Amino acid sequence: MPKKISRMGPYTKKVFECFNSPKNYGRMKNPDGVGRVGNPVCLSPRQNIHIDNNIKEINNLSKGERVLSHDGKCNSISRVLKRNYNGKILGIKNKLGRIFLTPDHLILAIKIPKGDKFLRIKNRKNLTPAWFHSEDLRKGDIVLYPIPKEKKELKYLKIDIPKLKHDFRSKEIPRRIPLNSDLLRLFGYFLAEGNIQDKPSRSFITFTLNIKEKHIVEDIKEISKNLFNLGITIREIPKRKTVVINLYNARLARFFKGLFGNGAENKTIPDFIMNLPPERQKPLIYGLWEGDGYINLKRIGARGGYVTVSYKLAQQTKILLLKQKIVPSIYVEKKRRTKGVNHKKAYRIHIGQRDSLIKLCSILGVKYIPLSYPSVKSWFDERFCYTPITQIKKINYKGLVYNLEVPNSHSFVSEAFCLHNCGDVMWLYIKVGKNRKGEEIIKDIKFETFGCVAAIATSSILTQLAKGKTLKEAAKINKKKIIDSLGGLPLIKIHCSVLAASALNKAIEDYYGKKK
Amino acid sequence: MSASKKKIYMDYAATTPVDPRVVKAMYPYFTERFGNAMSLYRLGQETKEILEESRGSLASLIKAKPKEIIFTGSATESNNLALKGIAFANKKKGSHIIISQIEHPCITESAKWLEKEGFEVTRVGVDKYGLVSPENIRKLIRKETILVSIIHASNEIGTIQPIREIGKICRGKGVYFHTDAAQSFGKIPIDVNKMDIDLLSASSHKMYGPKGAALLYVREGVEIEPILHGGGQESGLRSSTANIPAIVGFAEAARICEKEMKREGQRLKTLRDKMIKGILKKIPDSYLNGHPEKRLPNNANFRFDFIEGESMVIQLDSLGISVSTGSACSSVKLEPSHVLLATGLKHEQAHGSLRVTLGRWSTKSDVNYFLKVLPPIIKKLRDISPFKKHA
Repeated sequence: MPKKISRMGPYTKKVFECFNSPKNYGRMKNPDGVGRVGNPVCLSPRQNIHIDNNIKEINNLSKGERVLSHDGKCNSISRVLKRNYNGKILGIKNKLGRIFLTPDHLILAIKIPKGDKFLRIKNRKNLTPAWFHSEDLRKGDIVLYPIPKEKKELKYLKIDIPKLKHDFRSKEIPRRIPLNSDLLRLFGYFLAEGNIQDKPSRSFITFTLNIKEKHIVEDIKEISKNLFNLGITIREIPKRKTVVINLYNARLARFFKGLFGNGAENKTIPDFIMNLPPERQKPLIYGLWEGDGYINLKRIGARGGYVTVSYKLAQQTKILLLKQKIVPSIYVEKKRRTKGVNHKKAYRIHIGQRDSLIKLCSILGVKYIPLSYPSVKSWFDERFCYTPITQIKKINYKGLVYNLEVPNSHSFVSEAFCLHNCGDVMWLYIKVGKNRKGEEIIKDIKFETFGCVAAIATSSILTQLAKGKTLKEAAKINKKKIIDSLGGLPLIKIHCSVLAASALNKAIEDYYGKKK
Repeated sequence: MSASKKKIYMDYAATTPVDPRVVKAMYPYFTERFGNAMSLYRLGQETKEILEESRGSLASLIKAKPKEIIFTGSATESNNLALKGIAFANKKKGSHIIISQIEHPCITESAKWLEKEGFEVTRVGVDKYGLVSPENIRKLIRKETILVSIIHASNEIGTIQPIREIGKICRGKGVYFHTDAAQSFGKIPIDVNKMDIDLLSASSHKMYGPKGAALLYVREGVEIEPILHGGGQESGLRSSTANIPAIVGFAEAARICEKEMKREGQRLKTLRDKMIKGILKKIPDSYLNGHPEKRLPNNANFRFDFIEGESMVIQLDSLGISVSTGSACSSVKLEPSHVLLATGLKHEQAHGSLRVTLGRWSTKSDVNYFLKVLPPIIKKLRDISPFKKHA
């Protein structure tokens, strides 16, 4: 028979007791160790976080950088936290990427209930998203990725590169050019196929195209004439099946270099383009695709794809596509050598879902009449892209883990889904003494907590559990022990117990650190 | 736990107890006069008579014609019928709907569903008091707009919208205007003609009537489609056997409200202002959410820095006081109230909010008790909190 627990709302009686008359709260003067925790749940290092219009590894982030939050807006980081961790870590993967994180981190997700009813996407769409612990999620559950909302229209671009000292050959170019669809298309071609030669006396822009891509050659020629009043030189190299276009203008070359970076691996899209309204970004996508992308509609399972060696460009392209409500999946292709050609490590963006492919084709101006029945696995609404979890991996991990404190929204977005910090904060103080055997024990302990009933109750019970214990024993108090002592916690409040356990560990660590 | 014997209900915006006079009026319709209003024999016809009489009483409260009142099962149903019914009946005219950012979930979710069906929804923002600007509505109305739906008084912060001005603009532009009056109906005067209201939702259980009865006022001539099809009751707009006992209770509750509105409103306003003044004076770092004057006479919504709402609610509950909060910790989604966020509050600030709503049985001694017990609770929670100000 199940154990009967008397409950008060979502909480057990014991939780109420601990909450209503909490023990050991308040500030301690001259503590021997302090543990301050805000966001006890963490990501392993090198996990990619969505900042402004880009992606950066969590261990390289710093205070003040702006991360994307679950409401689609950007918020500044107030603190980057790291701590030592030893235990289980989950790797959760979906189409958009993979993230390794601790089992109690909250993820914005939809849990699909069992039963045939939810095999149908239509019924899944009616479920409400909520924050779930990563541990509770299974393969097939849906995770959410917010669509960035920041939009800023820009009609003209200023070219404020001064004429170089020894440059007598470059023709004068306009100082202000309209940021129109032609220019955005040219930017797309450049991101895909262009590079900059920047030597003291010879700076110019080069596009290297396939010999068959005559229409792109014509397009670049037209655009460069109309916008910059510059001619291009075209050189065909039949042996290599390529055609090389050069645009000789030192100022323009430097301007492009400043905007996009140089070298295929480092290319990025500047913020002002990423912030344009989605409708205006279509020509850029067209340019990118004409250059490095492909569309194959004839094979079974029609698809579109895009390959680049720049990780950042791949992630930015993903963001561009999400704004168009096209769902991409990203694969990494390892460095390899085929037919005597060296291929660098590359990122492949794949578009296979029917409705996404139709949207992509309309941007590219390609006619696509689908033949087979569409399979829908991912979908959009105004705010989010919904994609299923495709894999969950458990590994044991020992080392540093990271988290971010984001004041307003308490959430941030990784390369694959949206993460949450509940915003509860706990500060724990300990005083250390010795017992008769000469072992170090927790003589006194106090806490300060900002948070809900569960947070205060777990704080109180933790101090009661730890008081009088040796440091070794106290360090072993984990979330399970805390939850059991309280007679259980509602599922959605489990992270509160993690907060308490990690505060104690921090305080003990702090004590040992001070002793040294 | 040491549950107090005192029981003070201060959450009248959530629901209200049924007035004993209302219970008395309802009683015969459970047992003796149980007939179906659609039946031809006397038992049925008697019921039909009382149904129409009830309709008349409710109509008179908002100066409407009896036949313009459609009985439904809940305010949620009324709001669903208003939005979906208008949207589908006027598809040919256009597909644009305007709502505000501080609507009740039954409006926002209906609007979201309509978006899936191909309608376009604009959500007009509010200022820091939660007020919608009529000028903004005027700017947002376009050729395709078929409906504007603005909540009359916010269920959370109690702010009363300039309904008359918005109504006038909508009438001038030939757009239907719906208002969700679940909170204001029976508490403040409403005149659908002077306010140019085309549709209005109201609910019985927010005004000392029983649960399970509500109404949608539909101005004569407004084109609307039913969402429930069947026996053709309620002019074909809401097929279902009439819930006579509940409707009788609803009407009786309305009669009482109409009679006592002025005096009761004044009484509650005095009590509430005393409470607001007391709290803001006694508790440092406390603020009032919503508009200082343009608010329901019974509503107060506070914000306390450094602490979290769920903790306050539970502490107050153990002292016998029932109130509610917009904190994220108390919601299933761990998201703070969308209304408070719309008024420009930050997440942390919305966390520390507390809604106190008074009603017919609230007394001066209740308010005094509340004023006595709240400050030590806030102090204790702040003592626990690491964010408190350092002395």
